[in-house]
Amino acid sequence: MKKSSNLAYGNLTRIFFILVLVFALIYIFPVFWMFITSIRPDNDIHKFPPTIMPHALTLKNYIYVFTGMEGFLRYFLNSVVVTISTVLIVLVASAMSGYAFGMRKFRGNQLLFMLVLSVLTIPYIMYLIPIYIMEYRMGLTDTYLGLILPYVALNLPWGLLIMRGAFSTIPLDIRDAAVVDGCGEFRMVFQILLPIVRPAFVTTTIITFVFAWQEFMFASTINKKNEWQTLPVGIVWIRDELQTMAMGKVGAAIILSIIPVLILFFIFRKFFIEGLSEGMLKG
Amino acid sequence: MSTSSHNLDTIRTLKRRRKMAENINLIIFLLPAMLFVLVFIAFPVVYSGFLSLTKFKFGIDKAPVFIGLKGYIERFTSDSLFITALKNQAVFAVLYFSITFAVSLVVAIMINELTFGVQAFQVIFYLPMIIPMSLVGIIFAWLLSPINGFINIIVRSFGHPRFMFDWYQEPQTALVGLVVARSWKMVGFTLIIFIAGLKGIPKSFREAARVDGASFWQEVKFIIIPNLKPYMLISSIWILINSLKVFDLVKVVTEGGPGVRTYTLYYYSWKLAFERRDLGQASQVAYITAAIIILLAIGLNQLFKPETAERG
Repeated sequence: MKKSSNLAYGNLTRIFFILVLVFALIYIFPVFWMFITSIRPDNDIHKFPPTIMPHALTLKNYIYVFTGMEGFLRYFLNSVVVTISTVLIVLVASAMSGYAFGMRKFRGNQLLFMLVLSVLTIPYIMYLIPIYIMEYRMGLTDTYLGLILPYVALNLPWGLLIMRGAFSTIPLDIRDAAVVDGCGEFRMVFQILLPIVRPAFVTTTIITFVFAWQEFMFASTINKKNEWQTLPVGIVWIRDELQTMAMGKVGAAIILSIIPVLILFFIFRKFFIEGLSEGMLKG
Repeated sequence: MSTSSHNLDTIRTLKRRRKMAENINLIIFLLPAMLFVLVFIAFPVVYSGFLSLTKFKFGIDKAPVFIGLKGYIERFTSDSLFITALKNQAVFAVLYFSITFAVSLVVAIMINELTFGVQAFQVIFYLPMIIPMSLVGIIFAWLLSPINGFINIIVRSFGHPRFMFDWYQEPQTALVGLVVARSWKMVGFTLIIFIAGLKGIPKSFREAARVDGASFWQEVKFIIIPNLKPYMLISSIWILINSLKVFDLVKVVTEGGPGVRTYTLYYYSWKLAFERRDLGQASQVAYITAAIIILLAIGLNQLFKPETAERG
């Protein structure tokens, strides 16, 4: 009885494997096809009927992205500047407030924290119009700050949530011992406590990085000039100019634009998955 | 006598001074985050709430004119485009929910049974998460394009060219095409939740069922699904809320078209604000969208609470 049921499960596992494999191949096909198209010569792209595997390989499209494609390098630079600045500010601000909420007792701690968290349910479209008007009046449209400031604000509640969780697991004894030793509070937080909450740092970094690298609505609304635009909008502009016939070139640009996140993904895969699911589960 | 009371005083002042220093520190620790939240979150919420009660065309009207709730009433009674957006949004939400939920649940249950290849499969399904939504839009618009899109090339090679069509230009398929693209990107998120839930089911439960001669389907029905309920709730809430925040795709792929077939709430609000410059109407749509999302989140939580609590 037991043996036969085991056998049945073995078969089932095999069937599942095949099903998942087929589905995974279909699933990944859009990315695969884009990649294949980006390394094919032009005459191969338009060949009919199309072949899955290219007849010849070329890096021409990638070279074009770096040398001939107007805007790409600038968009890339802008994305790097905006994303890294956002991540750094979010880390510092959320570590500081996370410590305050997680380890300091003060009146209104719970209430204030709940208030900040309630922000997480508000859809971003609510902020867009006032932030645009505000930045327009302050002359922040078409600047780096114009994107960095709202990106920081939108990610801070998440960072705070994660950091507070991490800080509240630290025994208060560690803090008291440091205070008794005459260690100033700021030094204590940054030198003694921060290394303990390193995983929370990585999680916050990933969540914020992925957000800032992918953000479209604010970027397309606040920035109208090529000089300040980031990749998610910039590549759409490039496509609008080149049209779909140039998918080899656009595909190369897309592949290049996701490489930084891809690297992050493979280095921190465990954190990546934990972080993303943590961010969602608590929302 | 006098010295000891003097000492007591010094201790008190010292304590008070330390308390004060601690309070100042606390303020410094909280200040940066609170400032950002106040200026870029709290103020915008209040300000767009105010705008939604006014008539205000940016760059045309000098100042907002207060009209109370009239704008909200107008949206529901005499704004046919808003009703269209609402309907599109509902259709989008239902389709998106069904596809994302079903696909990620089935795939998660199957992956959970596998003995090898699990990591590789997970990477494949998580990969779309790192591609920006706007670029996902470009990829799908290209794949489904009638000119050189892969799907239509396949269709052409199997049949007559008249079966080829532009998914995103046909009224019947445009919205479905957007749903497919978005689900494709988002399935990874819900898959993570389900896989986490499946891993949390004690092996002993299933072994016990197996000893009793349960088939795999019985295990799914009586052990996996009941134990997965809290996770199904979380992912349902998340998918539903997520299904109402559709902007990037519409903007990049269809611009609301064909006609107004793919107008969503986000897109309509954006269009009102940044093309018609009507900040009053745009804020009304934004507030209604937010209200739907928040009510949905609270409602679903309440609805499912007793059941999840019962399960401990």
